[in-house]
Amino acid sequence: MKVERISGLKFHKKQDVAIVGAGMTTFKRRLNETGKELSYLAIKQALEEADMDLSDIEMVVMGSAPDTFDGLHMKGEYLLDGSGGSDRPYMRVFVGGGTGVFAPIAGYWHVASGLADICLVVCEEKMSSSYPHPQSAFKYIWDPILDRPLNPNLIWIFALEMNRYMHVHNIKHEDIALVSVKNKANALDHPCAQLAEKITVEDVLNSEPMALPVRRLDVSPPSDGAAALIMVAPHIARQVTDNPVWVTGVGWALDTTMWTNRDLYFPRYVAEAAKMAYRMAHVTDPRKEIDVAEPYDPFDYKELHHMEGLGLAKKGEAPILTKEGVTARDGDLPCSPSGGLLGVGNPIAATMGVKACELYWQLAYRAGKRQVAKEVTTGVCQAWGDLMQVGTVMVMSNKR
Amino acid sequence: MFNEKIVNPNELRHWEGRIELYWIYTSGEAGDRFFKALKDEEKFIAAKCKKCGKVYFPPRMYCEFDFSETEYVEVSGEGSVRAFTVARLDKDEKPLEKPEIYAIIDMDGTDGCMVHLLGEVEPEDVYIGMKVKPVLKERGEREGKITDILYFKPS
Repeated sequence: MKVERISGLKFHKKQDVAIVGAGMTTFKRRLNETGKELSYLAIKQALEEADMDLSDIEMVVMGSAPDTFDGLHMKGEYLLDGSGGSDRPYMRVFVGGGTGVFAPIAGYWHVASGLADICLVVCEEKMSSSYPHPQSAFKYIWDPILDRPLNPNLIWIFALEMNRYMHVHNIKHEDIALVSVKNKANALDHPCAQLAEKITVEDVLNSEPMALPVRRLDVSPPSDGAAALIMVAPHIARQVTDNPVWVTGVGWALDTTMWTNRDLYFPRYVAEAAKMAYRMAHVTDPRKEIDVAEPYDPFDYKELHHMEGLGLAKKGEAPILTKEGVTARDGDLPCSPSGGLLGVGNPIAATMGVKACELYWQLAYRAGKRQVAKEVTTGVCQAWGDLMQVGTVMVMSNKR
Repeated sequence: MFNEKIVNPNELRHWEGRIELYWIYTSGEAGDRFFKALKDEEKFIAAKCKKCGKVYFPPRMYCEFDFSETEYVEVSGEGSVRAFTVARLDKDEKPLEKPEIYAIIDMDGTDGCMVHLLGEVEPEDVYIGMKVKPVLKERGEREGKITDILYFKPS
C-alpha cells in the first residue's frame, strides 16, 4: 500500500509561538572564551532585547554540532551552565549544519505544545579547538568502510555537487560567484562579521583553487561564535513587545545517507522540509508570498541550490534571479541580507544568528543598516547539513 | 552468556580505525586568570556573583543561576572533605600499586567544591569533614594546570 505522507497537516498546536528577542556574538576565531562563555554572551543579549531575566526562562534548547570540534564527548552537557540550562528542562539537538534552524524548531515544539511558555534557544560552536584543522573532523562523518579510506574532504564532496548543478542547468561559475560578491558585501553592515568585504566576480574566479570548481572565495570560513533566541507564548509576547514575530511553519527532512545515490543537482531534502513548513504556514506560492529569505549559504552555489529547494526559484532559475538583482537587499526577494555564512562566518550551529535570528530581526524591523528595502510580512530561513542530507526550514511572519 | 557465534573479527572482513584529531583547549576568561594566579603567585581565585553573592570555585565570568557578572576574590585554597573514595583499580581495572584517595573538597570561603587527590594520609584515617590544605608543585615545575596541585593533605 502506498500512503501519501501528510506531515504537518494534522498538527494542532496548543498555542502560537512568537520570537521576542535574539542575540549573537561576533563570529571569528575566539581562543579566549570557552564555548560556555560564548553561549552566555549571546544569551545576555537576547534576554536584554526581550527585557527578561534568566529566571523568566522555563526551558532551554541547546544546539551544537559535532563533539569532535570541541574535543568533548557529550558537549551538550558540558555547555549546560553557560547555556542557562541549570535547574531546568534542557536538551541538546544536533543535525550537523542544519542545527542552526533545527534548534529553533525544537524550541517551537516546546512552546507550541504548551509545555513551556518561555523557551530559550541557544546555539554554540567553537571550531578553532580542533586540529590539525576543523575540516579534518569531517573525515569521520563518512562511512568508515566505503568513504573514509579515500580520505574524503567536505570541500571536494561539495565540488562534486556544484559541478553537477552547473552541468545540469548549464550555469557558469561567474553567475554563481555573484552570490559570494553579494553576501560578503551585505556583511559589511553586520557588526558580527568575519569576512565582510567588497569583492568582484573576478576576485572569486581568480582565488585559490581548493577542489575545482570550488575556489577559496566560494566558501565560508570556519568560525567560533554563539547565537540565542527567545520563543514565547502569545500572552507573554503581548507583555514584552509590540512587535513579536510569529513562527508560522516548521519543517525538516532527511534524504538518504547513501549520498552517492542521489542526483546532486536538486536538494530534495530542502524541498520536502519546505513543503511541510509552507503547508503549516498556509504558503501556497512561496515566490510571491515570501518577502525575505535566509537560505543556507556555506558555499555560494548552495544559496542558489537552496533557493530552488525552497521554491523561491524554479530549477536552474536562481542564478538568473541573482544576476538580475532580485536577491539583493533592495531587490524583490532579498536573500541573505545578513551577509550569510559567506560574509558573517560559519560557526556551524551558531549560524542560527544569521538565519533564524536575522529573519526575526528583519521581520521585527530591527535589522538596522541591514533592513531590506521592501515592506516585509513573511520570510523563510533554512539550514542544511548532516551528511549533506538534512533540510531544516522555518517560516516566520510579523502578522499572526 | 554470548549469543553471537562469531567472536573473532578475523573471520570477517574488518577494518580498524581511529579518529586522528587533537585539540587545544583554553580555559576561558575566568579559567585563564585562575591558572595564572595559581602558577605565578600560589594564589587561589574564586568569583563572586555581583547579584546573589554565590562564590564560584574555580571562578567563572558569569553566575550560572542568574547570569549576572561576577567579581574575582581570593580564597585560601584550604577546605574540608565532603566525600571520598579509595581507588584500588585504575580506569582500565588494573590493580593500583598503591591505593589512591579521591575526595570532593569543600573550598573554604566559596560555594564550590573541587575533586582532587588526598596525600600524606592513610585511607583508614580519612573522614568526612577532615580539614585539608593543598600541596603545590615547586614554583619552577608548575605549568598552570590543575595538576600543579599535587594533592591535599590534612591541615
